[in-house]
Amino acid sequence: MTVRIITDSLSDLTKDLADEFGVTVVPLTVLFGHEAYLDRVTITTEQFYDRLIHGDIWPTTTQPTPQAFAEAYEKLGQETDEILVVTLSSRMSGTYQSAVGAKAMVGKKYKVEIIDSTTVGMGLGLIVISAAKAAKKGAKLAELAEMVKSARSRAHFIAYFDTLKYLAKGGRAGRAQALLGSLLSVKPILTVREGEMAPLTRVRSLRAGMEYLYNFVASCSGRIEELAVEHTTTAEEADKLAAQFAELLPNQRIFRSTVSPVLGTYGGPGATAVTVLEAAPK
Amino acid sequence: MKVKVVETVTGQELRDMLATATSWLEKSAPDIDALNVFPVPDGDTGTNMLLTMRSSVEEAFQSTDTSVGAVAQAIAQGALMGARGNSGVILSQIWRGLAQGLKGKKTITGKDFAEALRQASKMAYRGISNPVEGTILTVVKAAAAGAEEQAERDSDLVGVLEAAVNAAGEAVADTPMLLPVLKEAGVVDAGGQGLYVVLDGALRYLRGESEQMQFRKPQIITSSVAQPARLSVQTVDEIPYGYCTEFLLMGKGLNPDAMRTRLQRKGQSLIVVGDEDTVRVHVHTLDPGNVIRYATTLGTMHQVSIRNMDEQHQDFLAMQRQRMPATDVATVAVVAGDGLAEVFASLGASAIVSGGQTMNPSIKEILQAVKSVPSDKVIVLPNNKNVVLTAQQVQALTDKKIEVVPTQTIPQGVAALLTYDYEADFETNVKLMAEAMAKIKTIEITYSARSWALNGLRVKKKQPIGLLDGELLTAGNEPEDVVHKILAKVHVRRSEIVTIYYGEDIQAAEAEAMAESIRQKYSQLQVEVVRGGQPYYTYIISIE
Repeated sequence: MTVRIITDSLSDLTKDLADEFGVTVVPLTVLFGHEAYLDRVTITTEQFYDRLIHGDIWPTTTQPTPQAFAEAYEKLGQETDEILVVTLSSRMSGTYQSAVGAKAMVGKKYKVEIIDSTTVGMGLGLIVISAAKAAKKGAKLAELAEMVKSARSRAHFIAYFDTLKYLAKGGRAGRAQALLGSLLSVKPILTVREGEMAPLTRVRSLRAGMEYLYNFVASCSGRIEELAVEHTTTAEEADKLAAQFAELLPNQRIFRSTVSPVLGTYGGPGATAVTVLEAAPK
Repeated sequence: MKVKVVETVTGQELRDMLATATSWLEKSAPDIDALNVFPVPDGDTGTNMLLTMRSSVEEAFQSTDTSVGAVAQAIAQGALMGARGNSGVILSQIWRGLAQGLKGKKTITGKDFAEALRQASKMAYRGISNPVEGTILTVVKAAAAGAEEQAERDSDLVGVLEAAVNAAGEAVADTPMLLPVLKEAGVVDAGGQGLYVVLDGALRYLRGESEQMQFRKPQIITSSVAQPARLSVQTVDEIPYGYCTEFLLMGKGLNPDAMRTRLQRKGQSLIVVGDEDTVRVHVHTLDPGNVIRYATTLGTMHQVSIRNMDEQHQDFLAMQRQRMPATDVATVAVVAGDGLAEVFASLGASAIVSGGQTMNPSIKEILQAVKSVPSDKVIVLPNNKNVVLTAQQVQALTDKKIEVVPTQTIPQGVAALLTYDYEADFETNVKLMAEAMAKIKTIEITYSARSWALNGLRVKKKQPIGLLDGELLTAGNEPEDVVHKILAKVHVRRSEIVTIYYGEDIQAAEAEAMAESIRQKYSQLQVEVVRGGQPYYTYIISIE
């Protein structure tokens, strides 16, 4: 039986991508005051960003309950005897804990292996896609688990932020705190290290930011297994960047996604991210 | 998701709520310990508040009367008996005020809670001889105000507590604005953060989230203020902190107010709280014996604790070092003008040496700054042509590894500092910074010191003159036309951002007018105005 894969909505796998790779996505929740929405399920990214920018309630987010994971396990358990769960970084959210908690709630009819991806966004998304491809080719659970663990250090998620206001207000700035409080208007570029947001550098303009993202991908050229581009509100800029990558790497599929509402709560408007999943050394 | 509307809670629920809030606090106690810099950076605020809360929980569950009034009274009594540290004692005062406000109540409504919180806030200030804002006191006051405002609209308890939590959270985030020592350390107040977590835990209990809380952690509020620039000064500080002296005094007819007045001059951070039978004392003193001798004349002493705060402080510093970001490269910048110094600090310069065009720093001054930063590898940004050579002499005088990125103007220095790559090594960063400085154009405007003529340019004394990348280019009648003459010679079509740093003799409005004239002429440029406060140069302008 094929191993089935579960991830959470912070993988930024759109419905189309999740369907294509046969991945189950358990949504986190975004709250505007008392109104709760399931990430990308009962609220679209457009609706969300519109409200984030124009609304007067600051959204908050919560992880899925163990129950939500348990239901996903039981559903897939009817089709397979091996389930791989890959979650966003456990240092950013309790989602991993929920997935672990759910394991104790279901029986032992099937094996569940839960891995903390230590990353987020398409960093997590590309790890999951790569695992799904291998599962389709018949890789077993133990093998997939090893693959995912080794992929963690090869997934490079690099994000351009228009502002760190949202990240800081949400309490998720991690080591990127070093970039807060600048008296000049600067645009931070961050990555994820040891499961937390970490600073890379700063630029002074959108153009310089896009150039940085482009140069980063170009510097990986020849070692790229998967590549993704995603944005919160600036689709045009991200499309332009994706088009440049298409020119640079004509044979590379470029996964084009949007940042989910829950992740966008911290990214804020105007953010663009690229992710390179480096190929495993032969 | 179901949202609970909770009109009231009973005494039993209040007890469970307290227990939930205590486990919530337990989860972030180590993080709160790490924030602790005021009044003494000894790193135990989270732990102290937790121990105080535990004592309250124990007492509350022993109470046979389970009306709200009785449970609240037991909580307050437990807090007083078990209070530890500054923030613990203040927390016990908060419970005491709450208990007074809830006296005789069977259940708590939103309105009751708001009123009790107001009492708690007043009580918290009362036990302290010199209340300091930007601490747990400010946070409890804000929480009370938030709760009262909401209670007037609607007495639903969840809504009122939510308003209190939100107001507390915002007050915590603002603590660095009120208390300079927090701003310097780039942290929020630890005690305030602890109170926020307690209130947040209580709210989550009411919302029925106790189960999810097992898998989550309280949020640590981040300071909105920049990280500190001059870390070095704090580590060489050798003022002894003395002994943190705490005890519980039991007797008859005790008078906390009189005791507070008597102990006033015996030490710092004095708190005396309690009633006629039980008084808790907390003080930081160099002579604990003196305090204890006095107290023994009044009653019997219990739970006596005397801790050496200098030792605690050393442990705290070790803990801080472990938590510091893993950057092993520091940057020292030579800057004139308080505004510019702040700009460099906000961009992450580790130390600032004061100096520039009119007052070049000595080798010794730069060397001291290099020695003071907590890194073995140091990048120096001279930011002036005349300082580059001085900076290059420093390497011979220290074992640290020094690289001078030869920035000749302030804008070059800013560009270099901005480009700093947090993941690259020392050599790569030096290279990246040198590349970045080369991409910047600098305009400097000043006034001619005398009349002269050179290369067909005639300049009168006190006439505005303009330099482009350090070369004298033109003169004019007003700074504005000098700037525009130079801009016309620079190919700004491919540029994006112009930053104007205005000098000490310029008003913000004048600088803004200059910016507006540039925007009008070059609509594609983004023009930013920053107060530089520099002497000599009326304007320093970067074009990138």
